[in-house]
Amino acid sequence: MKTVRIKKGWRFKIAGRPTDQQEIRLASQTVALVVDKLPFVKPLLLVKEGDSVNIGSSLFSDKKNPDIKFLSPGGGRVSAIHYGPRRVIEEIVISLDKSENQETFDAFTEKALDHTSRDSLIAGLMTRGMWPLIRQLPFRSIADPKSQPSAIWISLGSADPFQPLSQVYLKGQEEFFTFGVRALSRMSDRINICWYGDIPPGFDFLNESVTHRITGEYPATDPGVVLYHTKTTPAENQDWYINGQDVIGIGKCLKTGVYPVDRIVAFSDGTPENSRHLKTRTGIRLQDLAAGLSIGPDKQWIVGGILSGDATASDKYLDLNQTSIMIVDVSPQSEMFGFLRPGLHRLSRSRTLISTFSSALLPVNTDMHGEIRPCINCGYCASVCPVDILPQFTCKSLWADEIEEALAYGLLDCVECGLCSFVCPSKIELAECLKDARKHYHKELNQVA
Amino acid sequence: MRKRVETYLRGFFERNSRYFSHGGRLYPLASLFEAIETIFFTPAIAAGKAPYVRDGVDLKRFMSIVLLALVPPLIFGIYNTGYHSRLAIGSDLSFFSVVATGLKIVMPLIIVSYGVGFFWEALFSAIRKHPISEGFLVTGLLFPMTLPPTVPLWQVAVGISFGVVIGKEVFGGTGRNIFNPALTARAFLFFAYPARMSGDSVWVAVSGAASSAVSAVSGATPLSITTLAPGFKTFESQLHQSGFSLTNLFFGLYPGCVADSSALCCLIGALILIITGVASYRIILGGVAGLLVTSFGFGLISQAPLNPWININPLYHLLAGGFAFGIVYMATDPVSAPGTTASKWVYGFLIGLLTVMIRVINPAFPEGVMLAILFMNLFSPLFDVVEIRIRAGKRIPNV
Ligand code: SF4
Ligand code: SF4
Repeated sequence: MKTVRIKKGWRFKIAGRPTDQQEIRLASQTVALVVDKLPFVKPLLLVKEGDSVNIGSSLFSDKKNPDIKFLSPGGGRVSAIHYGPRRVIEEIVISLDKSENQETFDAFTEKALDHTSRDSLIAGLMTRGMWPLIRQLPFRSIADPKSQPSAIWISLGSADPFQPLSQVYLKGQEEFFTFGVRALSRMSDRINICWYGDIPPGFDFLNESVTHRITGEYPATDPGVVLYHTKTTPAENQDWYINGQDVIGIGKCLKTGVYPVDRIVAFSDGTPENSRHLKTRTGIRLQDLAAGLSIGPDKQWIVGGILSGDATASDKYLDLNQTSIMIVDVSPQSEMFGFLRPGLHRLSRSRTLISTFSSALLPVNTDMHGEIRPCINCGYCASVCPVDILPQFTCKSLWADEIEEALAYGLLDCVECGLCSFVCPSKIELAECLKDARKHYHKELNQVA
Repeated sequence: MRKRVETYLRGFFERNSRYFSHGGRLYPLASLFEAIETIFFTPAIAAGKAPYVRDGVDLKRFMSIVLLALVPPLIFGIYNTGYHSRLAIGSDLSFFSVVATGLKIVMPLIIVSYGVGFFWEALFSAIRKHPISEGFLVTGLLFPMTLPPTVPLWQVAVGISFGVVIGKEVFGGTGRNIFNPALTARAFLFFAYPARMSGDSVWVAVSGAASSAVSAVSGATPLSITTLAPGFKTFESQLHQSGFSLTNLFFGLYPGCVADSSALCCLIGALILIITGVASYRIILGGVAGLLVTSFGFGLISQAPLNPWININPLYHLLAGGFAFGIVYMATDPVSAPGTTASKWVYGFLIGLLTVMIRVINPAFPEGVMLAILFMNLFSPLFDVVEIRIRAGKRIPNV
């Protein structure tokens, strides 16, 4: 086992970390497959409104590769297909039946798994709807089934305390996890299993399989960060990666022959009482996750991590591969002489607020805490970037349309962690700029090809 | 009480904001209005893009810390200026009268600097429709602190105008300027009105009760002593005799620019800036190292000095001539310094090196630090480019 120490990053001092308590949350009436958040997917619908579907029925496939199927997270009727601007499909909503029927697929035994060819295993994962959970660096797109990665990275646990604990989701699922790893190892010679921190007692079965022990602060556990700090050749840049919970899903799907929809979500509303792990299902309506809690309308829902996540809302649904929901206050009223206050309760990575010198966890809100100003070249952004990008200079070259230069500076190594935008005193949208540029570049590459 | 003040102020800004909104009569002054309003009320703006949670620091706070770090040298400078002014005319040196005299001399300089500078700042932001940058609060205070107390007010006005307009705005405003604007202003005065900026007669301002005009009496600064006077065995003993012992240079109670004489106060400021992470310790330490190493090196190689500053205890270089003030407050201005880490060391080191070179080789420019920093400002983009290239070259390509 190799220890990878990530030096740059930041320890969240944010209140409301989910505890390891678990609670079950059921879907009330509808679930949905969120479409527009899937990276670089052009959906080709296979159902229309009113069709009845089972758990695991194909809802759509990807235009570029119609073998990649996206399956229904619920059994019932397709009650709505929501379109966004420019007729982009946002989500496919399913009204649930009382008795949700399941599609069934062929189950695999260990022996069968070992004797299947790589290609037919990949094809099997595509029809079983599990393929979209395997992602590929550097663009974080759904893995290209025709590519041959030098390694597949499995991350167990996260340096982000608002993501589920691996101990929680692995418990009782060891068998499926091992089966999932076995399946993945048919697709690449190297399977790198990364564990965050120390392996706790009770998980000894991992001792042999874990290859990398990760230490450091957010976003140390991001596969892109680990790869950046371990890679030796450019060929590794296109490695695949997958979250530990999804490995369990793959194992379960192959072993039992049903499409698994269960999911453990780390939920936080900023209070210690309500923040915990929720045992729920993919595609659940987000307000069902907060059932029984009184959450006002003036809240921002964030899916997928406090700093890297997207805005969402209570009437939206849980994306296919997301595991974290966070509810924070929308910015409060303006503060009189805000900049003169010592800042005892305001979160900052800089040392210009008193709160720096205490380790207390602080409440957060969506306020910018300042106005946009020109870059003063303070270097804060570069000092947090876990993959040694100089965000201020990289963005400057992007604004000047010097994409080649930005690539040389490491644009594609960016893990979209959001730390650079977070720390900037001039409130410059660095992460957004890099993210857009990466998307753009991906599109450009795929047009030429 | 606070609640009432707050309610009143909120009401005031709300009532008046319509004049400054689009189509309002005073729309061209919108950025001025906004600047004033945001001093009172930190605006609540929700993050519209990921990350949806942002750090509590902003440029206002960043610059406020610099102002805070300038307080010790400013207070000492006021006292020092008053002290020497009263000493020169033989008045009593009680604490309060010294401070009062100091304030009378220093405050007009600061007020003119802020007033005139703010005018340009507001004018450009009205034309360019960008918000007024908080960086000006630092420039407007730094500049008068580096002037001789005898400087005429109109020169302060001319200097700050030059610094803001030529030093900053012609480059495109804050963040784009190559040179530190306060230093640009200072250098401009130095070259345009040398008589008022150097020599032995500008360092002590005398404002007598009889005449309100500020006149000057003679008094040398340590750096203006450049020849070993007969009767002294060593240059150090001569400095000592003139009142410039190392201790005195450290505490700073000697005539000089308004507020850059005390190395101790600069040290306190440096600690504030380094602990809060606002200034780069790399630049400061690099600068000190560069200065000590160079002056030590000069001491080793030179036998028969043309200028006694060549082989002198390096600590004299460190404590005299405003080096401490320059390296702590001027060189660390992030906009005109390099942004990459190794470059910051190099940049600092070369400032120290150049300072000694200028002092030693060309005693006509006792303001070695100022020129050294300006010169290195010019090169800092180049340092950045070089370091970025090197770092990019070390990456495993990912395209
Ligand atoms: S943190 Fe912001 S202001 Fe500082 S260098 Fe980066 S982009 Fe510029
Ligand atoms: S550039 Fe910004 S978003 Fe990208 S990895 Fe670095 S800190 Fe994270």
